[in-house]
Amino acid sequence: MAKVSFRNVWKKYGDMPAVKDLNIECPDGSFLSVLGPSGCGKSSTMRMVAGLEHITSGQILFDERPINGLAPKDRDVAMVFENYALYPHKSVYENMANPLKLRGQDASVIKERVTAAAKLLEINHLLERRPQELSGGQKQRVAIGRAIVREPNLFLFDEPIAHLDAKLRAHMRGEIKHLQRTLGTTMIYVTHDQLEAMSMADTIAVMHDGELQQLGTPREVYNHPVNAWVAGFVGEPAMNFVDVGVEDRAGRAHFIHQNFAVPVTEEQQRRLSDGSRGSALRMGVRPDALSISMTKPSDSCITGKIFVTELLGGDMIVDVDLDDCRIRVKTSTEFSGEEGQTCYMTVNTNKWHAFSKENGKAFF
Amino acid sequence: MASREVIQYETPLSRAFRWFSAVFLAFYVVWTVLPLFIMFMSSFKDLLEAFKLPAVGDWAGVTVFFEFTPTTKHYYELFARLGFTTYLFNSLVAAGGSAVVSVILGSMCAYSLSRIDFKGKGDLFFWIISTRMAPVVAVMVPLYWIFRQLDLVGTLPGLILAYTTFNLPFAIWILKGFFDNVPYAIEEAQMIDGATRFQALRAILPLVAPGIGAFVVLCILFAWNDYLFAAIIGSGGAKTLPAATRELVQPQNIQWGQIMAAGVVTTLPMMFLGLVIRKYLVTGLTMGAVKE
Ligand SMILES: Nc1ncnc2c1ncn2[C@@H]1O[C@H](COP(=O)(O)OP(=O)(O)OP(=O)(O)O)[C@@H](O)[C@H]1O
Ligand SMILES: [Mg+2]
Repeated sequence: MAKVSFRNVWKKYGDMPAVKDLNIECPDGSFLSVLGPSGCGKSSTMRMVAGLEHITSGQILFDERPINGLAPKDRDVAMVFENYALYPHKSVYENMANPLKLRGQDASVIKERVTAAAKLLEINHLLERRPQELSGGQKQRVAIGRAIVREPNLFLFDEPIAHLDAKLRAHMRGEIKHLQRTLGTTMIYVTHDQLEAMSMADTIAVMHDGELQQLGTPREVYNHPVNAWVAGFVGEPAMNFVDVGVEDRAGRAHFIHQNFAVPVTEEQQRRLSDGSRGSALRMGVRPDALSISMTKPSDSCITGKIFVTELLGGDMIVDVDLDDCRIRVKTSTEFSGEEGQTCYMTVNTNKWHAFSKENGKAFF
Repeated sequence: MASREVIQYETPLSRAFRWFSAVFLAFYVVWTVLPLFIMFMSSFKDLLEAFKLPAVGDWAGVTVFFEFTPTTKHYYELFARLGFTTYLFNSLVAAGGSAVVSVILGSMCAYSLSRIDFKGKGDLFFWIISTRMAPVVAVMVPLYWIFRQLDLVGTLPGLILAYTTFNLPFAIWILKGFFDNVPYAIEEAQMIDGATRFQALRAILPLVAPGIGAFVVLCILFAWNDYLFAAIIGSGGAKTLPAATRELVQPQNIQWGQIMAAGVVTTLPMMFLGLVIRKYLVTGLTMGAVKE
């Protein structure tokens, strides 16, 4: 088990930077999720930790010990590859036994460990098969099995469940999280699925274009995104963004838009720099921080026209047209508005956000 | 997986084509098998019997071909008097040795070309292939001179080296394709599992084994059937079967019986090799082509 630190880590392929000046501390035994869209440098980060890519500059440390120059086998990490990378000519059992065999374990120990891991992953009936004879989900569990048969410093999971169906994915999320908790081994888990990161990680590192955007607990990242990009990436359905102006009315800053004028809270007023007055801001509000009704509840509400309603099982998503944009509201299935009707939305101002229009930085 | 069956519908053309192919194949089989058959039969015949042939057009007379008293005297002559045991041994060592040397050097070289990127890699690869473009006869004289200087003429190591010179580029070319087909991720997984770089390479060898097997056979065939190198580089001390057989043609008399027997001795091991590895080669070659 180890604490993992990234100090000013860069990765360049030729001249193209894939990871830019990464700084992360991942405490011993914690579950770090690296979250970001495709091509943002997640796998590159992972592969640098594993020793499969050179670190262009900066340092990666395990327990304060730089590992830049160590060969993969000396780093003692276990990795689940994006594409599983099982050994096609070996049986499931041999696949899982391989790391133990290479480390010179006794046959009896190998058998015991592999059997235990197979049982945990419910693949003990597949041990004699070859990888070609397995489904995607089973392959993935074999890949995880190969990683957990030994006790490494660190687990590296690279989108291990991205190719599974939704139901199996939900099941595996729970399994992997439980596994990490039980073994207590530090885990770095790469995913592009914000739901996976939110539901499993102790800490999320949100990456975009090779740059670390935010490092924080799932709650922090969700409730206090540091910029508009993170705010838009995390959360499903995605956050609504509306360009607004700021004006002081009766000593309180208001967000002004064709369709509404809503005052900010006292705390938020303090956070808005004075320069923001008169300039344009980007207001962000999650679909569940809005409540919608067909009757006008107060003056400080948003007026819009229903574009479409979507029933999602226990919830309903309503798309509402404002004069210059469209926003989505999450409401209960009792909502009875029809398409084309005028509706009114109230913002929970404790849960909204304001971002600079220039650089996307969050004021609150 | 979708069915691999190739769907075909009968048309007059396809029917005609089928007839044509059947006839063609029949001719082809006769064309290829008949000489072997005659060689095999004649090797057990006395010289006079061997030349008993029916007149042209006398189909009933074909039976004279089968009327003979079998004798093994030609084989006895070859091995007891003419030293074919040594020549057989030389052939085996030259073919096997060059196959082993080429496969070891070739797979290491092919692996590097497949996995490591370096400047001028394309040029290097082309250069390796291009060494096979010159006809053997064109390089024979300089090669002979070099071998002479190194005292390699007429020795088995010399012959092995000569065959390796020609097999190695071929080995690199074939094996690189097989290594290219093995995803690098498999080696990465091995290294994460605790393998060194070299152990990781060893771990993927089973995946290229079909390629290596196929190549070993080609390599052995090349060396086994070769006459030119055997006659020039191997002459004297390292005479192989083809070279020795050629010497049975003497100005005064041609030892037909012994030549036929020598032909059988030369052909049989390769036929046997083909039979043994046939199944392995056919299943193996497809496996190498499948990507993960
Ligand atoms: N070997 C390479 N050579 C050149 N560029 C590369 C190489 N590997 C990755 N890249 C580039 O680096 C960037 C980051 O790639 P990386 O594989 O780390 O992305 P990722 O976040 O893992 O994406 P995904 O979610 O699709 O797996 C991409 O723009 C990619 O094109
Ligand atoms: Mg990736």
